Amino acid sequence: MANFRSIYKVQVFLTILIHLTLALYEDQVGKFDWKRSFVGKVKYVSLEARRIIVATEENVLASLSMNTGDIQWRQLLEDPNDYQIELLQVDKEILTVSGSHNTWLVRTWEINSGTLLSEWPLNTDQNIPSKFTVFEKKLYHIIPVTASHVEVTVYPLYDVNANQRKGILRKITAPWIKDSSECVVANSYFICLESNQLYFLNLLKDNADFQSRPLDSLLGSSLAKTVLIELNHDTPSVLLVQNNIAKLATIVENNISVKPFDLMPNAVKFKENEHIYQLEANDNRDKLIRVKAKDFQTGKDVFSVDLDYPIGLGAPIILGGQSIGLVTKLFLTTTDNALLLVHLPEGKILWTREEALSSIIATEFFELPISELDASIEHEFDGDSDIISMFTHRITTQINQLYSLLSGGQSRKNGVMVRDEFGLHKIIVVATRAGKLFAIDTLSGSIAWSYRLPNIQPFLSTDKKEEMLLLVQRTAKYYPLPAQCVLLAQDSITGLGVVFQFDPITGQSTKGIQRLNYKIVQAVLLPYPNKNLLKPFLVVSDTLEVHLFPKDSISQLKEHFSTTFLYIADPKRDSLNGYSLKYSTEDSLKLTPIWEVNFQPSNLVDVSAKPINEIVHSQGKVLYDRSVYYKYVNPNLLAVATVTPDPNHRSVVSVYLIDGVTGLILHSASHRRAKGPIHLVHSENWLVYTYFNDRFRRMEVSAVELYEGHLQSNSTVFSSFAVSQLPDIQTQSYILPAMPLKMTVTLTERGVTNKFLLIALTNGAVIEIPWLLLQPRFTGMPCGPEESCIPYMPEIPIHSETTINYNQTLSRISGIEVAPARLESTCHVLVHGLDIFYTRVAPSKTFDLLKEDFDYRLIVLVLVGSIVATFVTKRLAARKALKRAWKIFHKKDIDKKIEVMRICCIGIVK
Amino acid sequence: MNKNLNNSRNIDMSSKQLNRRQKWSLDNVKIRTLSTAEPLAAPPSYSSQAVSLATDVSKKTDVSRLISKKSWDLALAPLKQVPMNLFISYMAGNSISIFPIMMVGMLLMRPIQAIWATKSTFKMMETSKAILQIIVYVFGNLVNVAVALYKCHSMGLLPTYASDWLAFVEPPLRNEFLGGGVLLH
Repeated sequence: MANFRSIYKVQVFLTILIHLTLALYEDQVGKFDWKRSFVGKVKYVSLEARRIIVATEENVLASLSMNTGDIQWRQLLEDPNDYQIELLQVDKEILTVSGSHNTWLVRTWEINSGTLLSEWPLNTDQNIPSKFTVFEKKLYHIIPVTASHVEVTVYPLYDVNANQRKGILRKITAPWIKDSSECVVANSYFICLESNQLYFLNLLKDNADFQSRPLDSLLGSSLAKTVLIELNHDTPSVLLVQNNIAKLATIVENNISVKPFDLMPNAVKFKENEHIYQLEANDNRDKLIRVKAKDFQTGKDVFSVDLDYPIGLGAPIILGGQSIGLVTKLFLTTTDNALLLVHLPEGKILWTREEALSSIIATEFFELPISELDASIEHEFDGDSDIISMFTHRITTQINQLYSLLSGGQSRKNGVMVRDEFGLHKIIVVATRAGKLFAIDTLSGSIAWSYRLPNIQPFLSTDKKEEMLLLVQRTAKYYPLPAQCVLLAQDSITGLGVVFQFDPITGQSTKGIQRLNYKIVQAVLLPYPNKNLLKPFLVVSDTLEVHLFPKDSISQLKEHFSTTFLYIADPKRDSLNGYSLKYSTEDSLKLTPIWEVNFQPSNLVDVSAKPINEIVHSQGKVLYDRSVYYKYVNPNLLAVATVTPDPNHRSVVSVYLIDGVTGLILHSASHRRAKGPIHLVHSENWLVYTYFNDRFRRMEVSAVELYEGHLQSNSTVFSSFAVSQLPDIQTQSYILPAMPLKMTVTLTERGVTNKFLLIALTNGAVIEIPWLLLQPRFTGMPCGPEESCIPYMPEIPIHSETTINYNQTLSRISGIEVAPARLESTCHVLVHGLDIFYTRVAPSKTFDLLKEDFDYRLIVLVLVGSIVATFVTKRLAARKALKRAWKIFHKKDIDKKIEVMRICCIGIVK
Repeated sequence: MNKNLNNSRNIDMSSKQLNRRQKWSLDNVKIRTLSTAEPLAAPPSYSSQAVSLATDVSKKTDVSRLISKKSWDLALAPLKQVPMNLFISYMAGNSISIFPIMMVGMLLMRPIQAIWATKSTFKMMETSKAILQIIVYVFGNLVNVAVALYKCHSMGLLPTYASDWLAFVEPPLRNEFLGGGVLLH
């Protein structure tokens, strides 16, 4: 019996699953999704024959095409937060040293394919930053031990059995040394600048000691702060930068000397020729950057070229270059992490890569404005025009509309950004760590515009998470008012707040960058639009003062003082605080603390509120007996996750559901012997969270669902203060056989469509799991396909068909963003990280859209055919009827004749 | 001869109709004088016996009784249909598919149409005294409607549960506004 039941259960599950799984057909690949790959901010570069080998701060080794800048191959190394590439040396093969502190990995890579050839670890006792260099097939590892000595370990690189590889350690006394930041490696010399003394050490000589020269004797004055910059040359040489002027110092036979000419601090030199290249600012507005080549020995200008430098990019520096004969290629990187390849002597920029997109901090989706044609109909009542001109205006615009409809729509014509019918064409505005804003077209993945904000950086929130705030003040819905968006960030030097207001469609800003004189702690977009339909926002400063933007919106806000609440979670003090604006006046806004929840000794890990634009379509759940169990949909509900160190259970994960207005704790759950990473997804009347179960060593996912009961206490207005009874809470936990990185839930226009959880996994896949699979089952109630309920299974199956990015592995996913399309069934998804992947998901399939492979031709053919057939048969039938009518008439005629004849006959007989 | 012919043709008709018939035959036959003449011999195998028999029967039956019987038949027909409808509904089952739906639709529509058409149905009876029959007829149809509604109910097609009105429940308005986030630094 039990066996039969289990078979039945599996059967039920399979039938449901067939309806739930959505996979992509092969011919749909790339139809509405796109992927862009990046390498990150470049740290080291080496230009080869047809490729550029780059090592980046994202701990990535990659090869870029010399002609196009496309990625030929890319190898991801360890997590960039813990490990960094410290050396890149390209010879016959690529050599990298990456790691941190006392563990390093030396790897060699094949240059054409990027395959790993060899790898060996390098361990030291010293846990301090160090330097590496390669000289004459030997790897030198230099560790400066503060105020004591310098350790130099030499490792042979080639022709050595990996097991027998041993370094030769040498200690050189240097009591003056502080750390490695003041030291550089120039060719075979290790040079340090410490307290106005220049120390240098020949690494090749086994018994050499540090030699020193006072800085005064070299530069003349030592008052200004001097910085050392390395320069690649056969003769060991460094740049001494003082007051933004660099001097070239060369070491010849243990004697250091300074060349008499001045250089820019960004001067570089390549092995192949004797020129020093440097970049200078240019007065010409069209050609902002000038490349100058100077002779190494004399410092005389060899040539200079003005570059067609793109305006949006930041200040460039030369990272690398290559000279073959007269042709020189310069590899530039900019302050906004863009990469450029410059071709000299023409000064042409061959390609540009926007590597800032590898670190997206904030995203927002925007609907496009209506087309000019559709907009022109709105102008009808603009002027004091007479009735005839108004009429002609309307007729002409409508004829044009008809024409554009027949000629295949406007949006496809000459690539204008115009709203489409289903809201599938949107613009994604992203803010990056480098302080550059990009607008990305969802259809093509191309950059619509970019805007660089100098000297800004993201805020830090919980667990070193970087955050910038993008607030949508007005969407493009309100023609002729343009859309407006605000970016909030902090100044990279002072940490003070920065407000940047811009039009997300065009990227233009009327006010420019506003620098505030206080630090921003949090900002809130208020749902009270002013007469220009602009939503104001509140900025909370570090002294808990509130500032309203724009200031004249106070008249809208003052009506809502008593119903506007704020919450701020403080991960440092592990507390959650609620504030009210109740005691504010028109002149002074005031935050009044109304409640506080202190989680100490637990650590507050994450806080999650519901998506602000979410609409809950169904207010209840239909039970098996067709009664309604109403959902507890509290828009003010917050989910808080904490981790507590515990002597018995190692660590305990707790999750609280707290009303953000009153501070009432509605639910709390704790998981013993569990730890992070914790991901919270909060939507409608439920919460899903994942944690690591330390006892069974697996990821687990829990779902919490809140219900009001069989009666709805107030169906018209929801107030957090009207608490008659605590909600009924259902929970259930599952095993997740994967490691989640990020988690979110789909969002649709009206919330009718089913919900899918989107989970980014460590293996580079983004999977979708139906909420139905996680929804807590009611105890003592039947569960089957009739109740649209899947029987409980402890382990959540992860099928390969549920991967929305099919075979396109996404690396280092840092976020998943969702936005509704105007089509109810569809939801935009943007996954960002080292790669950007955009796709659309339809959790309940595209029930409101004909399939792509719908046979229009056949249906038109059938329709036309049946219309023609109708007319033909109609005609035939009419003809037949006529014929028959004639026949009857003839018959009648004959009958009559017969009758007459008969009567006549009778008469005759008589 | 012609008269005879007419008589034999319209033997069971009322005298009124006979007149009409004669009128009609007037159109047809212009040489009327001929018909008044002595009749011709009956055609072979023509029997006047049967005619007299038929007239006997018609004489025996009371026309009004016949009408009331007929009208009662008509009035009771829907009630007689009820067991059949019940049986059909039982056989059709409660699953929602095209045939049961069509059946239920017919079950529901037919009596309603019949109720609408009551007047025209009883016009045939040509008696104004059939009020009781009309009431019974309408009642019978209502019983049929009830059967159909019960069927709808058992199929779950009637919006009798709260869950059927769930889609029309508007989301409640939010009284308080809450915003905020993690302390940024």
